[in-house]
Amino acid sequence: MEQEAIAGAVRQQASTRGSKPRIPLPFLRFLYANRSARWSVIILVPILLLTFLAPMLPLQSPLESNIRASMSSPSFSHFFGTDKLGRDIFSRTLAGIKVSLFVGFSVALIALIVGTAVGTVSGFFGKAVDRIIMGIVDIFLAFPSLLLAIGLVAIMGAGTLPVICAIAMADIPRFIRLQRSLVLGLKSRTFIDAARTVQAPQLWLMSRHIVPNTIAPLLVAASIAAANAILIEASLSFLGLGILPPEPSLGNIIKDGQMYLQKAWWISTLPGGVILLIAISLHFLSDGIREALDPRARK
Amino acid sequence: MLSYAGKRLAQLIVTMFGVVTLVFFSIRMIPGDAASAMAGENLSGAALEEMRQKLGLDAPLWRQYSDYLLSVVRFDFGHTITTSLPIAELMLKALPLTMMIACMTVLIAVLLAIPLGTLAAFLANKGRKALDNIITWAAMVVDLMPSFWTGLLLMLFLSLNLKLLPASGDISFGEPGFMLQRIALPVLVLAVSQVATLARITRTAVLEVLNEDYIRTARSLGMTEILVVFRHALKNAMLPIITVIGLSFGHLLSGTVIVEFIFSIPGIGTLLVYGINSRDYPLVQNVILFYAFIFVVINFITDMVYKKVDPRVQF
Repeated sequence: MEQEAIAGAVRQQASTRGSKPRIPLPFLRFLYANRSARWSVIILVPILLLTFLAPMLPLQSPLESNIRASMSSPSFSHFFGTDKLGRDIFSRTLAGIKVSLFVGFSVALIALIVGTAVGTVSGFFGKAVDRIIMGIVDIFLAFPSLLLAIGLVAIMGAGTLPVICAIAMADIPRFIRLQRSLVLGLKSRTFIDAARTVQAPQLWLMSRHIVPNTIAPLLVAASIAAANAILIEASLSFLGLGILPPEPSLGNIIKDGQMYLQKAWWISTLPGGVILLIAISLHFLSDGIREALDPRARK
Repeated sequence: MLSYAGKRLAQLIVTMFGVVTLVFFSIRMIPGDAASAMAGENLSGAALEEMRQKLGLDAPLWRQYSDYLLSVVRFDFGHTITTSLPIAELMLKALPLTMMIACMTVLIAVLLAIPLGTLAAFLANKGRKALDNIITWAAMVVDLMPSFWTGLLLMLFLSLNLKLLPASGDISFGEPGFMLQRIALPVLVLAVSQVATLARITRTAVLEVLNEDYIRTARSLGMTEILVVFRHALKNAMLPIITVIGLSFGHLLSGTVIVEFIFSIPGIGTLLVYGINSRDYPLVQNVILFYAFIFVVINFITDMVYKKVDPRVQF
């Protein structure tokens, strides 16, 4: 899916002509009119609202335990039931979503910025610079991304910040690769030649003509990277290597529930469904962005 | 073909060298150093010094590096810190289970996904969108399910509620029947997402080919649809499919770590998680290195198959 979506965006990018595609004002309106984007808004907005309004809602605090209500099944007082210590799974899930989204968007942002910068330099200057950068990228790409993240977390330790760094480090090489190939495609285009003829400085060329033309595929890749980062963070926390209890994260809530799978199915299953929903909505968002930034895809 | 393989092999060796170097230095980047991180606060003074010696951290850096390179070439990874067992032996003992899970998953994925994806493409080409949409949607949702969640769901339904498959118990090659039952669930979990990925790629690839002129020609010659789809369309769509099978192997390797953890299967992934939790850095660095090695080799094989299938591929 990832390759397909990015490849699609790349193909569209290659066929656009202008040198300065600005994100138009109707972009947001279009995002809503677009079918996939609308789905993502319909799923994401309620989740976001619930997550950020959670402290104001009449919910048990995510860390508060209540032994008398230990392992009670889902009901109106506890939507997702409670765990062994009687903590409310619904409010823990909401707190976990906050962590997940924070990790997901931080990783996407870091990978996007670093990947774009390094990839542009690599593709634009070529020669030795390119060879050195791509050599390093190849070494990083020799590790499957989840395994690289696991290895990095093993070195840096558990916790939110190390997890973000680890996943971002695993993602950055992919962004460099993508950006470099986009830049290589643009470099020989006529409008770049035209800018060169009038002696545009290199920094100007890169920031005004190259990077803006690579934004569409990069944004598509970034929203997919956010979804993947959320899945990887959950996997790390599930393995006990990411975000550690008592701080709730979707992965470690599910891990806690594994022991009580038969007696209390809701602890593990319901938060997992939430991860799935978020991942699906981010994929819809990537589809929406791709179509919104590509005039030809608008029907 | 041979010169291509040679060039690719040279590149592989350079990459592996880089990987070993990266792994070597990353372990030395641990805040403080590996010895004090492993020892925690309990050890101090003489004991810490002893731990440094055991890890070889007291030698000068270039010496540590050259020793490490040599040991990797000799496939002698030293001993674990916590249990003093030889790491190479531990990995070789754990390897068959992990590889068996991975290979069975790939086999199932190929057998199921290619017909499924081809069917979806065929239906889409014929204008029957409904079934194609269902397959595409299901594939997307399944692909995004976190594997540990799928694993727990299947465990809940298949082994705890319906009691069809065992979720625990010792695995030995002496009892192949029980072993197969034990690894059935992990394989199923991994296969679900592999099938989804592969079916979607197959659909896209076949659908693209079905719009080609030579397919129209084949049809106009009165060939049966089955022959058109399987002999002409699928065969020409194989390239992207092969790439994705190779690429998704990395995803699969990561997946084995998680399913081995859930279903407590003593494979390499379990070794890795154990190593991290007991802060056994030599074990962790070598297991990670081993995974990278498998991944790089699989990519190499993929490239070779790719070249074999399509001789036009240039280095």
